[in-house]
Amino acid sequence: MMNFNILLTLAVFVFLIGLALRLFAWFGQGIHPPSPAFSPAKRFVQSVKGVAATVFSGRIITLIKSSFSDLLFQRRIISKSPLRWTAHSLIFFGFMLLLFMHAMESVVSARLFSDYESTLNPYLFLRNLFGVMVLAGIGLAVYRRITYKAKRLKSYGSDWAALLLVGGIIFSGMLLEGASISSYTVFQEMMDEYGAFDEDEAANLEAFWVAENGLVSPNISASIPAEQIELGREANSFSCVECHAPNSSAFASFSLKGVTRPFAMLLGDSAAVGLFYFLHILFCLTFLAWLPFSKMFHILSAPVSLLTRSVLPNPPHDSGIEGLTSANALTRQMVGLSACTHCGSCSVECSASMFFESFENDFILPSEKIQYLRHLAAGNPIDPATRKQLQEGLYVCTSCDRCTEICPSGINLKEIFINARYALLADGIPEKTLLGTFSFPLALAQRYPDNHLKALRAVEEVFRRAFQKLTDLALPLSLTRGSTMVNESYKSCYSCQRCTNICPVVRSYSNPVEALDMLPHQLIYSLGIGNTELAMGSKMIWSCSTCYLCQEHCPNQVELTDIFYKLKNAAVKKLDPGELP
Amino acid sequence: MKYAFFQGCNIPIRIQQYAVATTAVLKLFDVDLEVIDDFNCCGYPIRNVDEKSYILPSARNLALAEQAGLDIMVICNCCFQSLKKAQQMLANDQALAAELNEVLQKEGLHYTGKTRINHFLTILHEDIGLEAIKARLNHRYTTLNTAVIHGCHLLRPQKITKFDDSFIPGITDSLLQVAGAESIDWRGRLECCGAALAGINDELASRLFMEKIDNARAADAEFIVPICAYCYLQFDTAQINNLKAQPAKANSRPFPVLLYPQLLGLCLGLQPAALGLADNQTISSAEIESLQARLGPPEPEKKRRKKAKAQV
Repeated sequence: MMNFNILLTLAVFVFLIGLALRLFAWFGQGIHPPSPAFSPAKRFVQSVKGVAATVFSGRIITLIKSSFSDLLFQRRIISKSPLRWTAHSLIFFGFMLLLFMHAMESVVSARLFSDYESTLNPYLFLRNLFGVMVLAGIGLAVYRRITYKAKRLKSYGSDWAALLLVGGIIFSGMLLEGASISSYTVFQEMMDEYGAFDEDEAANLEAFWVAENGLVSPNISASIPAEQIELGREANSFSCVECHAPNSSAFASFSLKGVTRPFAMLLGDSAAVGLFYFLHILFCLTFLAWLPFSKMFHILSAPVSLLTRSVLPNPPHDSGIEGLTSANALTRQMVGLSACTHCGSCSVECSASMFFESFENDFILPSEKIQYLRHLAAGNPIDPATRKQLQEGLYVCTSCDRCTEICPSGINLKEIFINARYALLADGIPEKTLLGTFSFPLALAQRYPDNHLKALRAVEEVFRRAFQKLTDLALPLSLTRGSTMVNESYKSCYSCQRCTNICPVVRSYSNPVEALDMLPHQLIYSLGIGNTELAMGSKMIWSCSTCYLCQEHCPNQVELTDIFYKLKNAAVKKLDPGELP
Repeated sequence: MKYAFFQGCNIPIRIQQYAVATTAVLKLFDVDLEVIDDFNCCGYPIRNVDEKSYILPSARNLALAEQAGLDIMVICNCCFQSLKKAQQMLANDQALAAELNEVLQKEGLHYTGKTRINHFLTILHEDIGLEAIKARLNHRYTTLNTAVIHGCHLLRPQKITKFDDSFIPGITDSLLQVAGAESIDWRGRLECCGAALAGINDELASRLFMEKIDNARAADAEFIVPICAYCYLQFDTAQINNLKAQPAKANSRPFPVLLYPQLLGLCLGLQPAALGLADNQTISSAEIESLQARLGPPEPEKKRRKKAKAQV
């Protein structure tokens, strides 16, 4: 007991240190917008004000409703993923009920129920039921992690560790109970303390406990006569039943005798009980100490995140954050990052999942981004290669917001990603996927338009440096054999210039050559003389609205728009290996 | 009839009313739509960057529909073209098909190419048919001038999309006529809304759509009717952004934008709320009331037959 108290104190101490670090991160770190103006103390005060304003308003009703539907019932995942919902509910309810009924029995159960006794029913039975619930939930979670691997659900060592620890707590507890049930030493101690039997009665009682309550006695090896069991049952009913329901009610522990008995035989029954007790305590305290440093911190942070979301729903799409001061916006980002359980629901749903397959960049998956972004928020050094991957992962996103819709912890992933995206782009490292239509929803949303423009300029600069312009070339232009176009329809061009004449982009400029470097027909000409590079470097291809009017109107079926796509792809690829700076 | 309803990325989050109105209209003609949650992006956003990455997502979507045993119905033009393009490329390139199938294999999916890709308007025009629509009408507009903008990727390249005549499209006109709306001839009907350039060359992108709005106004149109989701977002959301950004125009009314299933839905007796009309940012409640006020009786029996004959 002495040792237990020391260990418990130690675990609580580590837990508190972890908690303090987490809280410091909540109020001291953030992704974007950069705001040195907010000290942690100011952010803490702001958040308290925000909470107070919510609690003392009509929105308290929303909070209460959300506590039931979002926190307890996990409404957000039931329809999207019944499997995950079942697994989580089994673990959550099983674990919480065990925590209150069993782990905190002296402060909860004993006070609520005057007749509470851990070895009486329904408590004995319920303890096993809850334990089995947790184990079943863990089984489902393991099954999900394995079968969803093909659906891009990533699992880390820490994910398995969490399952192992929770499962370890329950399983070691069951072994402890199982070993105690069969332990002769425990039986004897009880007899010494509570029993007032003569020798015969004691023998009968022992026989009954062996026959029906799973006791292993060194005195009894042969089969026991039925009369003796009945006499034992009588003795049992005088003295033991007040505190002992039949041990078979502890159905899980009781049936684990096959596991516990070999230990008892090897170590002695008392040592086996001691071993399992030690294991059980070790698992519990390790879990407690590990909690704030791991994804299990979501037990505390996910409720905060979900409740925040219930009163501050995600801003209507494509608009700024409303009703949230920027100090609180940063704090909300941090609460969000700490609430991620790496459950992978977002990655399974992610609309950009196939881009992950072709780019082989883990950061395209939302779950992987959000896990890594805590390093960015903490200001940890990130090596350039990882940074580039992260930036690409943040940009290769269709802005469909599915991740934010599905997140069981209520994390506003979309907000975090938008902020992280522009935080990274602000460093001026060019991002080639900016030139994709991923930019369309961003233009529509108009968040950080200046940063966006600056990032575009960085990419344009790379192009400017990488490719020659028509005006840079010394005349006369000569024929080369350099063209590697897969689409060879350009060869049919007979110089009618219909493409340029019908182009809505060309029409939009008073001096199109200056704005676009080359006009559509000139691009085709340059392919004709074998100078693909020249075409690749022209602004025209990036100003093409892809309306296909030129291609459709070409009398000789030159597939101009498709060729422009090829040129764009080739230009991006050319920049890829030697990317500047 | 039942289709897998491919909504893409923009519609579920930015233009829910397009999906809602389409579903409500098609339900009246016993067309069921199944939303497959597993559908991913069509691939279009990456097309500028890498072609194979552009094709793979569509291959997966088609394989998913194949697995569900359903043909696909699309309402976004860019999704439509991407799916069609992928199908055409994979039909002509066995090696590519095999390579992509290897990726799909991991999820137990397989692409063979048998899924049919239909645009929503084709289903209305061909599968349901003008006659059936006429027969079901509760109302027809007494007068309504609409400037339809097809969106490029529905019409062109005709070789890939095979939607309609790409120079003189007729499907939209006849679908508007059925409802009593006039599809006016205007500069912009077949042209670009600039969406593909938004975020890359914003100035050009907004010049392209603002020029369309001016042209529609000049041609006396009352509503712009975009078929594509991207066109819609340009004319609706981007138009509003554009007005907000110009202090001089901050108080001017935006040019109203109406989606075809909303326009038709009112004639089929559906209420504005069921068609999400109020969700169009550019439409005021006065304009909704005005639309309802123009609903007249469906065309008399006789006249309708004559017209049908004339069309044949």
